[in-house]
Amino acid sequence: MSYDTITLRELVGGVLVEAGKENKDIYVIDSDLAKSTTTNQFEEVFPERFVETGIAEQNAMSIAAGIATEGRIPFYVNFAIFVSGTCWTQLRQICYANLNVKLIATHPGMDGGYDGATHHANEDLALMRVLPNLKILAPSNPDELKAAVQIAIAHQGPVYIRCVRDAVPNLPAKETVQMGKAVVVEDDGDDFALIYEGSATELAFKSFAACREKGKKGKLINLFSIKPVDRDLIRQTAGTVKRIVTIENHSVIGGLGGLIAETVCDIPGHAPVLRVGVEDVFTESGPSGLVKEKYGLNVEHVLGKLGD
Amino acid sequence: MTDIKQLKLTANRNRKRIVEMVYQAGVGHVGGALSVIDLLTAIYELEVDFSEEKRTRVVLSKGHATPALYAELAQKGIIDEKDFPTFRQINSRLQGHPYTCDIPQVDATTGLLGQGFSTALGMALVKKREQDPHRVYAIAGDGETQEGQIWEALMMAAHYKLDNLVYIFDYNKLSSGHPTNEVINLEPLADKLAAFNYHVIVIDGNDMEQVVNALKEVRTVSGRPVAIVANTVKGKGVSFMENVPKWHSSGLTDAEYETAMRDLSAREEEICNEL
Repeated sequence: MSYDTITLRELVGGVLVEAGKENKDIYVIDSDLAKSTTTNQFEEVFPERFVETGIAEQNAMSIAAGIATEGRIPFYVNFAIFVSGTCWTQLRQICYANLNVKLIATHPGMDGGYDGATHHANEDLALMRVLPNLKILAPSNPDELKAAVQIAIAHQGPVYIRCVRDAVPNLPAKETVQMGKAVVVEDDGDDFALIYEGSATELAFKSFAACREKGKKGKLINLFSIKPVDRDLIRQTAGTVKRIVTIENHSVIGGLGGLIAETVCDIPGHAPVLRVGVEDVFTESGPSGLVKEKYGLNVEHVLGKLGD
Repeated sequence: MTDIKQLKLTANRNRKRIVEMVYQAGVGHVGGALSVIDLLTAIYELEVDFSEEKRTRVVLSKGHATPALYAELAQKGIIDEKDFPTFRQINSRLQGHPYTCDIPQVDATTGLLGQGFSTALGMALVKKREQDPHRVYAIAGDGETQEGQIWEALMMAAHYKLDNLVYIFDYNKLSSGHPTNEVINLEPLADKLAAFNYHVIVIDGNDMEQVVNALKEVRTVSGRPVAIVANTVKGKGVSFMENVPKWHSSGLTDAEYETAMRDLSAREEEICNEL
């Protein structure tokens, strides 16, 4: 499969501007990273609905709670490490109150390569998954990002959108994504299933292509909706394929692999679940591609988990 | 009867409700509820109209003082006093800290200290930008003011010149176990707030006349937010609780309950006899 690549992060500002034109309730909150997250585009068009907090992420998150209480729809857009980690108890209180706060977390996993371990958000899915009421979406292409923002607006309650900073294949969505539904991108047979989250899309595609070359017939599944997860599809898959390999730009603890394992663990004789992601370590600086390679996100590692 | 006198009586009645609730439930933060109740009563009685679609908002950032909030909401008819024994108990809508999902008239879910000022800021920003004339009042404890997020909100609200926002410090000088300023010194608090570009009002927060005057002064301020440093007494109104750290959080024995109610009934009579 040949394709160009694109960085979803670059689309965030434009997607929010479009949403802001249709819906006057949308506010965007920034903590001095509007250029990096591209929300400066929203600031240019809607300065009266743009809120700059400066470098004060906890303040920003609780401000979102206040804006939502006034009946508006705040999108707090910042790097994943800050949105999920720095202000976790502030978000937890928002989730407890089920406030209509939306989060777009850019630079997930090791996407902020050069910044190093301090800025690598390899724990965000783990931190977000345990929060009741919070929905989690992980778009893998431009269509899915636009859809994720629309789903978030339509949903009453907190939503976390994990937005890739690295390149993903610039392909149209295979189908219209929905909350709670995974997308079966390829289905050649039941030898295996590769299940991935948006920011690991390219590795998943390359790994699946390598499997095809070897004559293995399996499935490629884009999870998209991390929470709620497509329980029926995952459980059905675990009953039919010989092996599941999860691919995530995240720690192997508590993220996608953990989620799939939790979803299938009570099925007698379910397919084994093997996890590709960052082992329980801190990473380091470097071009994100090389950092990911070194810390386990590479085709050989995926093939190894498949038993090759 | 003067408005002030009526407010004093309402606040005293709320003190009885606080004691009643904590006595019946056997648990609760009674001291900080008694220190803040005059402020909370005046704000709700004078500024909040629950029948309005858009209205003045009140954020009790020191959420552990929620018996004070529940007492005033009982005064407003939103909470039934019959529910007081269920406070902090299983299956109750009277959670240990204010919770908007159970009581929609509560403006902010609080409890984890330091967050309420920022939430109030978010409300005030929307109101300011959308020409909603109502104000937002947020009350923090003095111990809570040690939280860094409080100062993030203070800095930002002043930057945006939010003159519809009123930050109130319930300065009762005691945190959970020690004098607040021996834990980490807040002083000079009023000077710090002035340096942060606030219109600062320092009052005795248990003197209803001063509280009401402060709320009047708030209306004269434009171009910057207001900070009210309310010097209060923890456990105010109950003789054996005043300034005693134990009453940060404790249930009452039967004898203590009777003494407390006697104190508050005597105070009620005193207020009635005032000119």
